[in-house]
Amino acid sequence: MGARGAPSRRRQAGRRLRYLPTGSFPFLLLLLLLCIQLGGGQKKKENLLAEKVEQLMEWSSRRSIFRMNGDKFRKFIKAPPRNYSMIVMFTALQPQRQCSVCRQANEEYQILANSWRYSSAFCNKLFFSMVDYDEGTDVFQQLNMNSAPTFMHFPPKGRPKRADTFDLQRIGFAAEQLAKWIADRTDVHIRVFRPPNYSGTIALALLVSLVGGLLYLRRNNLEFIYNKTGWAMVSLCIVFAMTSGQMWNHIRGPPYAHKNPHNGQVSYIHGSSQAQFVAESHIILVLNAAITMGMVLLNEAATSKGDVGKRRIICLVGLGLVVFFFSFLLSIFRSKYHGYPYR
Amino acid sequence: MAEPSAPESKHKSSLNSSPWSGLMALGNSRHGHHGPGAQCAHKAAGGAAPPKPAPAGLSGGLSQPAGWQSLLSFTILFLAWLAGFSSRLFAVIRFESIIHEFDPWFNYRSTHHLASHGFYEFLNWFDERAWYPLGRIVGGTVYPGLMITAGLIHWILNTLNITVHIRDVCVFLAPTFSGLTSISTFLLTRELWNQGAGLLAACFIAIVPGYISRSVAGSFDNEGIAIFALQFTYYLWVKSVKTGSVFWTMCCCLSYFYMVSAWGGYVFIINLIPLHVFVLLLMQRYSKRVYIAYSTFYIVGLILSMQIPFVGFQPIRTSEHMAAAGVFALLQAYAFLQYLRDRLTKQEFQTLFFLGVSLAAGAVFLSVIYLTYTGRCYHLYAKIHIPIIASVSEHQPTTWVSFFFDLHILVCTFPAGLWFCIKNINDERVFVALYAISAVYFAGVMVRLMLTLTPVVCMLSAIAFSNVFEHYLGDDMKRENPPVEDSSDEDDKRNPGNLYDKAGKVRKHVTEQEKTEEGLGPNIKSIVTMLMLMLLMMFAVHCTWVTSNAYSSPSVVLASYNHDGTRNILDDFREAYFWLRQNTDEHARVMSWWDYGYQIAGMANRTTLVDNNTWNNSHIALVGKAMSSNETAAYKIMRTLDVDYVLVIFGGVIGYSGDDINKFLWMVRIAEGEHPKDIRESDYFTPQGEFRVDKAGSPTLLNCLMYKMSYYRFGEMQLDFRTPPGFDRTRNAEIGNKDIKFKHLEEAFTSEHWLVRIYKVKAPDNRETLDHKPRVTNIFPKQKYLSKKTTKRKRGYIKNKLVFKKGKKISKKTV
Repeated sequence: MGARGAPSRRRQAGRRLRYLPTGSFPFLLLLLLLCIQLGGGQKKKENLLAEKVEQLMEWSSRRSIFRMNGDKFRKFIKAPPRNYSMIVMFTALQPQRQCSVCRQANEEYQILANSWRYSSAFCNKLFFSMVDYDEGTDVFQQLNMNSAPTFMHFPPKGRPKRADTFDLQRIGFAAEQLAKWIADRTDVHIRVFRPPNYSGTIALALLVSLVGGLLYLRRNNLEFIYNKTGWAMVSLCIVFAMTSGQMWNHIRGPPYAHKNPHNGQVSYIHGSSQAQFVAESHIILVLNAAITMGMVLLNEAATSKGDVGKRRIICLVGLGLVVFFFSFLLSIFRSKYHGYPYR
Repeated sequence: MAEPSAPESKHKSSLNSSPWSGLMALGNSRHGHHGPGAQCAHKAAGGAAPPKPAPAGLSGGLSQPAGWQSLLSFTILFLAWLAGFSSRLFAVIRFESIIHEFDPWFNYRSTHHLASHGFYEFLNWFDERAWYPLGRIVGGTVYPGLMITAGLIHWILNTLNITVHIRDVCVFLAPTFSGLTSISTFLLTRELWNQGAGLLAACFIAIVPGYISRSVAGSFDNEGIAIFALQFTYYLWVKSVKTGSVFWTMCCCLSYFYMVSAWGGYVFIINLIPLHVFVLLLMQRYSKRVYIAYSTFYIVGLILSMQIPFVGFQPIRTSEHMAAAGVFALLQAYAFLQYLRDRLTKQEFQTLFFLGVSLAAGAVFLSVIYLTYTGRCYHLYAKIHIPIIASVSEHQPTTWVSFFFDLHILVCTFPAGLWFCIKNINDERVFVALYAISAVYFAGVMVRLMLTLTPVVCMLSAIAFSNVFEHYLGDDMKRENPPVEDSSDEDDKRNPGNLYDKAGKVRKHVTEQEKTEEGLGPNIKSIVTMLMLMLLMMFAVHCTWVTSNAYSSPSVVLASYNHDGTRNILDDFREAYFWLRQNTDEHARVMSWWDYGYQIAGMANRTTLVDNNTWNNSHIALVGKAMSSNETAAYKIMRTLDVDYVLVIFGGVIGYSGDDINKFLWMVRIAEGEHPKDIRESDYFTPQGEFRVDKAGSPTLLNCLMYKMSYYRFGEMQLDFRTPPGFDRTRNAEIGNKDIKFKHLEEAFTSEHWLVRIYKVKAPDNRETLDHKPRVTNIFPKQKYLSKKTTKRKRGYIKNKLVFKKGKKISKKTV
């Protein structure tokens, strides 16, 4: 388009020149001057571009993702002479922002950028950068952006279109999806190379070796396998973990607690009955365990053989545990389940 | 992103996918208005709870304890049945005897078919009213237990000349079976612990909301009878492990057969029982009783389960059943080794043993690998990748609130029961421990599996409470029944004929306990008892409240309450279905989202394209595509599917949050899964990523068929003087497209509160009208052709010879 447009413009200019009245010679001179100036501008532009690319290459040799603030953003991403694509992650990684999604997205983005940085196809056509909200608030305002994380692609020419914003909500932020999107936008294919995650394997191996070592050490006395209390403890742990909604936490990944940004109050209990915080589920776990312990103590007090006074105390403690913690649990439930009529 | 939320929805239906899903549904917004039924059921429930622990205290004091005891337990069980039955009747009392929700409508329809056409007709039933071009083989794709049970009861009653409509049988089936469930829970708990705990457990399960949620009157669903079958099968299994008699095992198999015929959850049994056997082997608790019980159960149960057409050959093919087969093989090997040990020398035996163990380990290892790669992965895959599974609200993990809501005090105390069971372990308590742990895991993963957790929670809580009451309720000296430690101990206690003690058995503990029991004093004891009874009272009150408020809305009929407490009934659904039934052609095809398929088939008796049996994803995606495309594209799809009417649910007038616009994103997602070229989810969001129906909404959304059908002429309607016309109460927004015109559809019916809107799909015109001007051609030739041929000039002549005209340029500028 541009290639076809340029000559026609020149032809028009020529035609206009031809019809210029002779009296306007100074004008012609001015125009000539302007042309020279423009040519100089072109050269300067190229210099600028080379400079920018060089700077970017230098940065990217140091790290795969470079952080941008407002000035750098305007210089390298907004300002026109560019021949490179730029992927920018807009995020809020400061701990006080409490954006757990941002951190996960950042990890995926790192993986992607590293795969590109250390791949054989690495060239100066594509760069990865990020803008943190606390470093470039003006950028966020400029782009009219009010959610983080956001991934955007800035093409070499022109403004980013609608499809240049990565649809995070729909596809998620897995590195593979990002790579697919980048391939779609820039024709650069990145093969995502994930550093293999050994932590799970290591933990499992550690556990197995621990258990094996324990068994080996105690090989003469395997009585503890038949220890009912141990088994009972293990099964109770499973039960408590499940009834306090740890599986929900595992699948949904809620934040640990919520801090109100206005007054700094930390709330551990989620206001709605449809969701919960991690801290909340831990509280519930403890409450459930306390009630169960109260019941067991009540039974213990009645059946054990021993001093009557001691047993009375055990009995009262057990009763107290049951009654107090159950009322506490009920009040938490009441605060979450609006319209629950009973205390 | 729209957070999928499941507002106490107990039955299968689409999730609301929009941000407004948190808004209240009218159906669930009733607070604390107990009808007369509430009071009576409340009393019954409360009245049944306190006398439970009585037998432990009373039994010792009367001269003929056995007689009193059985009379008392009979009375308590009867009261539990009554309490359970009556607390499930809220919906019937408030509304009427009506089938609820979605799935029950299909069950009702097939039961009706069974009752009117007979059993074999039902088995061979090909339903051409569902999945329109495809149809559905109903007989081979349902668990027929529910329909056959209801049909049988109906037949028996009618044979006795008690004329009952099949609908009433269906409505009251689940409450009736809840009584049977409490009896079988009583039996099972009695086997596990003692009679007192059994009675407590029966009372708990009669009123616990976790079970009521699936068994209120009108909720005619598989689970209603399946929990009874589950508990009864477990009871018979425990019984057969204890006795080792083939008779009990055969009973267990028959009960298992009933369970297989009733519910897909039978897989839980066929995995739990082998697990029990396996753990018993690990604990070196192998005995001939276990061998007999499991071998018989596996073989007979397998053969019986394969008689259900829907199950067919699955038990020998799919991975869910492989564990049972593996344990069967292992048990045979183990028994064989035991046999050899008696015959061989130690040396020979050791080599054989190692060979056998290594082989068995290899087999187990292979089967585990097989299981992980075929079964589990598939489920995980399905969960993540198939939107239709993710869209169903009951396939969500469970928060602690749901646990507490459904089980109240039981969820905190049942670990104590588990503790007691493990501390005093024996064969059957191993079973209950495994049951508890596996069920609690599954309930944590998926809300709907709370149902399988509920019975075991009731049993274990009952054990915990009964333990406490046993020690604190009675007088100090009257402790003749020590907690039963040995299973056979209790056997002979219940057998009145078996009056002598078994040889070699010493009744221990009695003297010891009498000595130690004198402490604590009556004050503490009565305080503990009182507080425990208070807790149980709170439980009963909670159960009644939850049942009345959360689980007793039919969802076919909605109710709203005015400020003064009077009630408005919104009967729009039935109004619309009745209209369809009366005013449309008998074979008319109605397109709607799949949630309403069963209701349309059941109430309107019209052919549907998709329904709640979501077996064909591509068909559903096609309907989703039609709903989310613009009218012209949708018309093409609807023509290919022969659609006559389209039905949408629109809640904007009354603020009903479960309507189609809120479910709309799921339609788009499902359609996108199959037609990624035509439908893109991002098109339906604003550039900011919001889903809005007002002016800022995306133009694709504002012109798609679903939007147009929902809001057709809504722009002319002013609901309130404070709001502009066309204000949607569910979304709290003024709609963006008020000028909606249809070309291929016309409005056929809108219900009173606009909840249901039905559109007729116009047939194409006989002669297609052009939407542009016809091309004008010169019909008359400019000049008449005159033949130049004469007799003199016989030269040839070219008809329309081109003539060059020189010097005249035709330019358009001059025109």
